[in-house]
Amino acid sequence: MESLDPRINRLKSKAEWDEEIQKSAMDQFETYEVFIQIRENRPYEHVGIMHAPNEEMALIFGKEQYSRRYTCTGIFVVRTDHVKITAFSENEENIYEHMDLNGIQDGGESFEIFHLKKRGKQHIHVGKVEAGDYEGALSVSANLYNIGTPVYNVWVVKTSDILSIPPEDKMIWDTLPEKKFRDAMAYKAGDKIKEFKERNQK
Amino acid sequence: MNVEALKDLLYKIADDQLILGHRNSEWTGLGPLLEEDIAFSSMAQDKVGQSYAFYQLLEQLGEQKPDTIAFHRSAENFKNCQLVELPNQEYDFSLIRHFLFDKAELLRFELLSQSSYEPLALLSKKLLGEVRYHVMHADAFIKQLGSATEESILRLQTSLNEALPYALGIFEPSDLEMDIINDGIFAGEEALKERWIETVFTTISKTELNLADIDSITPIYGGRRGIHTEHLQPLLNEMTEVLNLDPSAEW
Amino acid sequence: MYGGGNVFETIKSVEIADEDPIKLYEFEERIDRGEKIEPRDWMPDLYRKQLIRMIEQHAHSEIIGALPEGTWITRAPGFRRKMALMAKVQDEVGHAQLLYSAAETLGKPREQMIIDLINGKSKYSNIFNYPAFTWADCSFISWLVDAGAIVNQLANAKGSYGPYCRALERICAEESFHLKYGHHCVIHLATGSPIQRKMMQEAVNRWWPPMMHFFGPADKISIHSETLMRWKVKMASNDAMRQQFLDMYVPKIWELGLTIPDPKMKKNEETGKWEYTEPDWEEFKRVINGDGPCNKERLAVRRIAEERGAWVRRALLNKKAEYVQPLA
Repeated sequence: MESLDPRINRLKSKAEWDEEIQKSAMDQFETYEVFIQIRENRPYEHVGIMHAPNEEMALIFGKEQYSRRYTCTGIFVVRTDHVKITAFSENEENIYEHMDLNGIQDGGESFEIFHLKKRGKQHIHVGKVEAGDYEGALSVSANLYNIGTPVYNVWVVKTSDILSIPPEDKMIWDTLPEKKFRDAMAYKAGDKIKEFKERNQK
Repeated sequence: MNVEALKDLLYKIADDQLILGHRNSEWTGLGPLLEEDIAFSSMAQDKVGQSYAFYQLLEQLGEQKPDTIAFHRSAENFKNCQLVELPNQEYDFSLIRHFLFDKAELLRFELLSQSSYEPLALLSKKLLGEVRYHVMHADAFIKQLGSATEESILRLQTSLNEALPYALGIFEPSDLEMDIINDGIFAGEEALKERWIETVFTTISKTELNLADIDSITPIYGGRRGIHTEHLQPLLNEMTEVLNLDPSAEW
Repeated sequence: MYGGGNVFETIKSVEIADEDPIKLYEFEERIDRGEKIEPRDWMPDLYRKQLIRMIEQHAHSEIIGALPEGTWITRAPGFRRKMALMAKVQDEVGHAQLLYSAAETLGKPREQMIIDLINGKSKYSNIFNYPAFTWADCSFISWLVDAGAIVNQLANAKGSYGPYCRALERICAEESFHLKYGHHCVIHLATGSPIQRKMMQEAVNRWWPPMMHFFGPADKISIHSETLMRWKVKMASNDAMRQQFLDMYVPKIWELGLTIPDPKMKKNEETGKWEYTEPDWEEFKRVINGDGPCNKERLAVRRIAEERGAWVRRALLNKKAEYVQPLA
């Protein structure tokens, strides 16, 4: 195949196949939910997913995808199937009031709680609880974190299912500040246009 | 301070980064997984951005503007090691090169953070964060692929064997090496190489890959003196193709 | 970036009349209130299928859209263009990832979306089936094709499906740099040396017809498209978006001394609408159905990338991995 793209020509690849492409069922791996901290001391927020073979890769991928253009101070990931979710409430009602909070409250396992306060927005980390199981964690959270405006939806995750960047690697968030080429402000060309018009008028 | 020695060092660092960043950008849009495509392309950008910063240091020392230095020299005037100009081949080679090179780069910047030439020390410190991520990425891939399947292990081993002699070319000493060390500009290629061997071994020992005895390998030198493979000039021709349509124009 | 020309073909789906009327009512009420629909909400089959198709097409457009500009990534003239183009094309891959993620929340696995793209079953923005012959072509794409995509995206960002809107928000934030960069490139060429000016004008002549196809033919008025507008899936008519694009960008093109290869192109000051030679919609149909200059190559490149990378994915795959639909 002769392409206009020299990179593609260097691949020296065939461009015709006898069969349609096949993919195995998990070819694109499992997904991990990604949470980002935009600035120190701000709560972590859900931003989206990464496809990755394991937590370590999910973290590495997530760091580039979600902090390419915006600064960040923290990231953590958790496999999608490790996130337990409640139902959604309606009409400004608080979902905690619609839960059967019968879980095991004692047990000493650590859970992280995330609240959704408005449809269309994303889940925000509110804090940690200790409980025996997921329902227990919700019960404890209902007492501890159910303050202020109504909560639409809750996510619960075992702390042990979370992977974050180790403290000794925190410096990866420092990048060259002089990345002006990514800043729209760096592209002013009004003068060039003005000059061009003046030249043509002569 | 021997300014020629300093410039020599800066040129080789900048040229390494430019050429490797350029090579790695060839993967953008063509990677093995979307998420990895994004990460690898990001690191390529970082490299080109870093080379720009080093060319700026050179400009401050009286050399020409970055665009001129980068886009108007021919191959025999480039000081990059031959490792970075080699074609990408398959992803295993690109990953191995990324691993071998970036591990050296991180150590180089850590050492340069103590440079007697302050602008260089400052810049190196600033870059540590980015390069640390590059190493994190490389380590994860080599560790995982290096222990995964027969196929991935074989591919990485073959690439590692091929790349090692070229990688040793990273540490080709400068003619002005003694001045570089004595003036406190940099601890020197030998010191760097020693640390590099250790850290490469640390990662490789966590895999099924074999690291040959470094002393038994003949390094492929020449890059630092402008002696390059047949791949560099075509790379430069491609890189400057549009610019050369009208060299005096503003693009 | 993404194009319109999104042909909202009738999807064989459960008849709306067969959907649970109470649930349907509540669903439509929620949309009317301006609330977002989230992945675990009840939704009509048609809504789900139409959204999957639309978001998936947008994702495909991004990953394919990376190819014409990617053609020039190694040849960008000078540091500032090199770094900016590297960043821009990478952004497109990043946008594809965000959009596939949004589509996945509706239940279609990413593997299937990739297969459908490569097998020609799914469509993507037609403009990318044309070749980027020169640096000026690349600059045209970076400026004007992106501009078209932004018109589309800004409209869709007010849609009803939560995950898609959130993805678009992130994307729109990054696009402002793309547009400025593209415009900057074109300005330099159009106001530059004779060689540059000639190259730019020729690129405009080549790309203008596909650009006029970009937003698609005038919408057929049907109950189908009415429903999709009511459900805030289709947010603006193709003609409305085309007019908006022409209004914003034709003057900017002319300002640079470039001509548009359509003698009829002018704004009717009375009606406020732009008049132009009706684009060749037969050509549009031909190309979008596979018969364009680059269709084969675009899909072949995606397949080559997938196959060359297969050993990496195979090696890293944990045998115990199981499919779970993403959450939001």
